[in-house]
Amino acid sequence: MNDLALAAKTEAALKPKISAKGVDVYYADNHAIKNVDVNILDKTVTAFIGPSGCGKSTFLRCLNRMNDTIDIARIEGEILLDGEDIYDPKVDPVQLRAKVGMVFQKPNPFPKSIFDNVSYGPRIHGMARNKAELEEIVESALRRAALWDEVKDRLLAPGTGLSGGQQQRLCIARAVATAPEVLLMDEPCSALDPIATAQIEELIDELRQNYSLVIVTHSMQQAARVSQKTAFFHLGNLVEYGETGHIFTNPEDSRTEAYITGRIG
Amino acid sequence: MPALWIVAILLALAAAGYLAGRARAIRSAGGDRRNMHSLPSYYGANVAMTVLIPALGLLVLWSLIQPSLIERSIADDIPAAAIGGDTTLDLMMADVRRVAGGLDQLGTPTLITKPAEAPSEEFLSGLREDLGSVGVALASDIAPGVFRAARSYQLAEANGRFWMTIAVLGVGVLGLAAAYAVTNREFRARNVVERGILAGLILCALIAILTTLGIVLSMLFETQNFFSQYSWTEFFFGLEWAPDFRGNSSLSIIPLLWGTLYISLIALLVAVPIGLFAAIYLSEYASPRMRTYAKPMIEVLAGIPTIVYGLFALITVGPILRDYFALPMGIGESASSVATAGVVMGVMLIPFVSSLSDDIINAVPQAMRDGSFGLGATHSETIRQVVIPAALPGIVGAILLAASRAIGETMIVVLGAGAAAAQFNRGLGELVNPFEAMTTVTVKIVSQLTGDTDFASPETLVAFALGLTLFVITLGLNVLALYIVRKYREQYE
Repeated sequence: MNDLALAAKTEAALKPKISAKGVDVYYADNHAIKNVDVNILDKTVTAFIGPSGCGKSTFLRCLNRMNDTIDIARIEGEILLDGEDIYDPKVDPVQLRAKVGMVFQKPNPFPKSIFDNVSYGPRIHGMARNKAELEEIVESALRRAALWDEVKDRLLAPGTGLSGGQQQRLCIARAVATAPEVLLMDEPCSALDPIATAQIEELIDELRQNYSLVIVTHSMQQAARVSQKTAFFHLGNLVEYGETGHIFTNPEDSRTEAYITGRIG
Repeated sequence: MPALWIVAILLALAAAGYLAGRARAIRSAGGDRRNMHSLPSYYGANVAMTVLIPALGLLVLWSLIQPSLIERSIADDIPAAAIGGDTTLDLMMADVRRVAGGLDQLGTPTLITKPAEAPSEEFLSGLREDLGSVGVALASDIAPGVFRAARSYQLAEANGRFWMTIAVLGVGVLGLAAAYAVTNREFRARNVVERGILAGLILCALIAILTTLGIVLSMLFETQNFFSQYSWTEFFFGLEWAPDFRGNSSLSIIPLLWGTLYISLIALLVAVPIGLFAAIYLSEYASPRMRTYAKPMIEVLAGIPTIVYGLFALITVGPILRDYFALPMGIGESASSVATAGVVMGVMLIPFVSSLSDDIINAVPQAMRDGSFGLGATHSETIRQVVIPAALPGIVGAILLAASRAIGETMIVVLGAGAAAAQFNRGLGELVNPFEAMTTVTVKIVSQLTGDTDFASPETLVAFALGLTLFVITLGLNVLALYIVRKYREQYE
């Protein structure tokens, strides 16, 4: 890679893909997120860490308006995706979610075949002009999710018949197939064993080439392994946000230090 | 002693046993319940159980077996010469039972000391009047043979009842003594009672299964009877339904089955879309407030008696369909029609489909919907492509359940579609015309069995064959529904 390309890439990486300003979230009377400001960079893995109930998943779900499906949730503040407010009335949350994909804690393949699971997004968004193109999209998504070699002979078998780790990679392939710009992952490895976890982590590292990734995790080792940026949430506040290496070796806030050394949590 | 009294005495014994067993267990533990294997009430329950269950079991068995034993021995005593002419053994035995019952009520065993003694003519006609005064009306004077048989029937029954009382109460007392004897603080009363409860649960399950079996068997015997008088090929493959009680009837199931299936089809065409869409609205879109009101209101439909639906069909739906559809289109002038019954039956089935489908749609995990929303699908795309396919096996089950209800429905058809069987010889046009009157298998079962009919002619017995066929069809539908639900459920989890 020549210097120019490298410089261009660095610049792209520095430009915030998502920028949140003064975000507050309420679940009925419960103030779940308190005045959070954060800039998420492109082609970077950002980890959200923090004790259970600190609001990291809630905040993650704000980024693609998944909280819209919860009646009692109310969001204030501003979240910009490429400079556009995603809570603007002009924005269609459905379109937004095609751009900001999501992978959930528990693998949730649809009760359909592997092929239909992956082609679900491209089909509803009309991304393929014909069957061949659709097959191409499915294959490349499965390859990206490092699942192609394992399932290429049984694309018509039900997705629910795969193992837990394969199911989660199928869900990642499903998300990748819609060609999102940002991929949100809500504790994607918490239901998986260490081997499957290692595969997913490797995958996350590869996906960083093309996407901006945000991952919520309870495992600090995982955050340290896969992310470049880390945000520490505590009781609905964003306590500290910075370079992963910095947060884990030299935290500025005493609460961050207490959490990563295992004294609170 | 009447059975009611026996049961009452047994209950009293059980109650006494409960208290005695409990007290004995506590005594053997020195008044400290911590020294006992089980809680005191278990010891009491164990004794009560041992008193009741064997004794009641014996009572039930005895009451079931005794009448048939007595009847057989009496029937053997009736000389073959007494039977004949216009009477059969069955009719005669019915007389014997009635006379014996009357004699019991009269309470005059002193009049006749021995059953074999030949009664005089005037005594018998006097007896007939006496029996009439206690409500046992006889068509003719009692034949001496019948009188003798009735006397021995009466004696045998009294005898049997006496021994039954002794045996049942004896078993109860024995049970009480045995259970009381084994009761001490180390006896594992709790385990025994648990096993007793398990046995009770199994018994209840068995009763439900055996009843089904009994229904099938009773139908099977009568059906066999029917097919011994009427050709089965004619019944299953003939095309005409024309019963004639003077004989020479055409009794084919096809015209009736056609009516049943046609009306059911229309009913499902009404009920399935409306019920399913209502369920989707309620489970996916309706606010919790709306749901709390709308769901019970839809379910009210399920509580309306079908005869009321029938009235609705007769006075409202039928005339409307005739005046606004059939007459203007010139394809029918009767208010009783397939369409009337079908539409009203469909309305009746809406709550079945919607309520079951609603539960099934709600059971689809939220993670499925989240996954779909997360990929940028809209709400209706999610419902169409994820929720409904996931819920499909359950929905198919609900539909098949509704179908078996439709096939078994009678009242709505009688009032809505009339009682005339479909006529195959008038051509296809009339058969598929929804504004034509038609009738179903169930209606014909009722009409063949009502009125003053003789239970031996094919015109009557055909009802059992019809009923059995219908039973097999609905059973098949239910089995199919279960199979579909089970097969696809595995795939889903």
